[in-house]
Amino acid sequence: MEVDRRAFIASLGGVAAVNLMNHEAKAEALEHYMEEKLDEMVAAQQPEKFPTVAEIEAQITTRPYRRGAGSVFTGQRGENVKMLEPMPAKPTLQDFFRLRFAPANHVLQSATRAMKTGMSEEIILACLLHDCVLSLIKPDHGWWGAQLFEPYIPEKSAFAIRYHQTLRFYPDADAGYEYPDQYYRIFGHDYEPPEYIANTYKMLKNHKWYMEPRLVTVNDLYAFDPNAKVSIDPFQDIIGRHFKQPKEGLGYDNSPSAHMWRTLARPDNPL
Amino acid sequence: MKNLVIAFGMAAALASVAAAQAGKSQTVNGLQIAVVGVQRMEKAFLRDCPPGTNTVNAVERPGDKLSVVTLSFKATPDAKNAPMKRPETTAADGTVYRTSVQFVDVASKPEYSCEFVYRVPPSTVLKTIQVEGAKFDLPAEK
Repeated sequence: MEVDRRAFIASLGGVAAVNLMNHEAKAEALEHYMEEKLDEMVAAQQPEKFPTVAEIEAQITTRPYRRGAGSVFTGQRGENVKMLEPMPAKPTLQDFFRLRFAPANHVLQSATRAMKTGMSEEIILACLLHDCVLSLIKPDHGWWGAQLFEPYIPEKSAFAIRYHQTLRFYPDADAGYEYPDQYYRIFGHDYEPPEYIANTYKMLKNHKWYMEPRLVTVNDLYAFDPNAKVSIDPFQDIIGRHFKQPKEGLGYDNSPSAHMWRTLARPDNPL
Repeated sequence: MKNLVIAFGMAAALASVAAAQAGKSQTVNGLQIAVVGVQRMEKAFLRDCPPGTNTVNAVERPGDKLSVVTLSFKATPDAKNAPMKRPETTAADGTVYRTSVQFVDVASKPEYSCEFVYRVPPSTVLKTIQVEGAKFDLPAEK
C-alpha cells in the first residue's frame, strides 16, 4: 500500500507535531493511519448502511450541545473550545476568513473548483461564501448565510447562497448534481425535506435564476482532501470587485447584518 | 484485509489493461482518450477527472442503477487545462444521460483514468459515450 507522506504528516498535525513524537509513537501512528486507509478502501467496495431519521433523533440527548450550534461555539470532537484571537478594530472579510472561518477548506475548495470549471465571478463568490455562516449557526444556513452577506455582495450571489440549501435535497442530473451520500448519513436515508423546503424548490424550478444556486450545489463538495492546497489568495480580485467592504469594518457599519458579524467576532460574550 | 485490497487492485489493473487494449483511442483537446470498460456499481465515487478534491459519492436507489464508464486519458503536449463539457452517454433507445463527474485541470497529470457515473433505469444499456466532439462505442456492462 502506498502512503501519501504529505497526507500522513498532515493527519498528525504537521511537521512540528511529528518532530515531537518518538520513533515508537511515529511507527504506531503510521500503522494506525494505514489501517484506517485500508478500512476506507474496503468500505468503498461495500454498500454502506445509512442511519434512519429515528436513529439520528435518538442521538440528540447523548450530546451536551445541539447540532445546530455554530462551530465557533463548540469544541472540535468533544474537546473544550480554544481561545480565539481578537479581531482587528475594522475587520475585513479576509480577517474573518483567517480568524473565524478558518480553516475554511470546504468553501475554498468549492470556490477553487468553480473557478477551474469556468463559473461566473458571482458564482465563484457564492461558492466562496456559501457555508461560512456555519461558524455562527447551522440550521437554515442558506437563509442565514444570505442575510449575513446580502448588504455586501451582488444580488445573484446572495440568491445563490440563500437557495443552495434547498437545492441540495433535489438531484439534477442535467446540471451535474447528484444527491450526496453524506446527506443519507447526516439526515437519515428516509429523510423527507420539510414543506417549506419543498415549496421553495417548486418556486426555484421556475425561477429565471434557478441555475445560480444550482451551480453552488454542483461545486458543493464534502470532505476535506488533505492533499488539496487551497488559499483565499486566488480570490482576492473577485472579492475586491464584488464584495463591498465597509470602511468602518464588518460589524460596525450599521448594516442589517452588522450584529451577526459582531457575534462572530465575540462569541465568548455572555450577553 | 490487506490481501483483499491487493486482490482488488490486481483484478482492477488486469481488467483495465485488457479493456484498454480493446478500445481505440481518439484525441480530444490534446488528450488521448480510450474506453476502459463499463461496470454496474451500488456505490460510486463522483471524483473529478482527473481524480481530485471532490469526494461526494453516488448511491444506487430503488428504481435506478449506477452505470460507471471508465475512460483512460493520456495528456499530449497540446493538452491544456481549459474547461471541458461533462461526457454524455447515449442508451440503445437513444436516451441521452449526463454525469455529475466534472473535468477539472485535465492537463495536470500525464496519464490517468476516470470513472463517469450515470444514474439510469435498471434495464438501460449504454451504447456510446461522447467527450466533446469524439464519440466512443461502449462494451457490454459487467
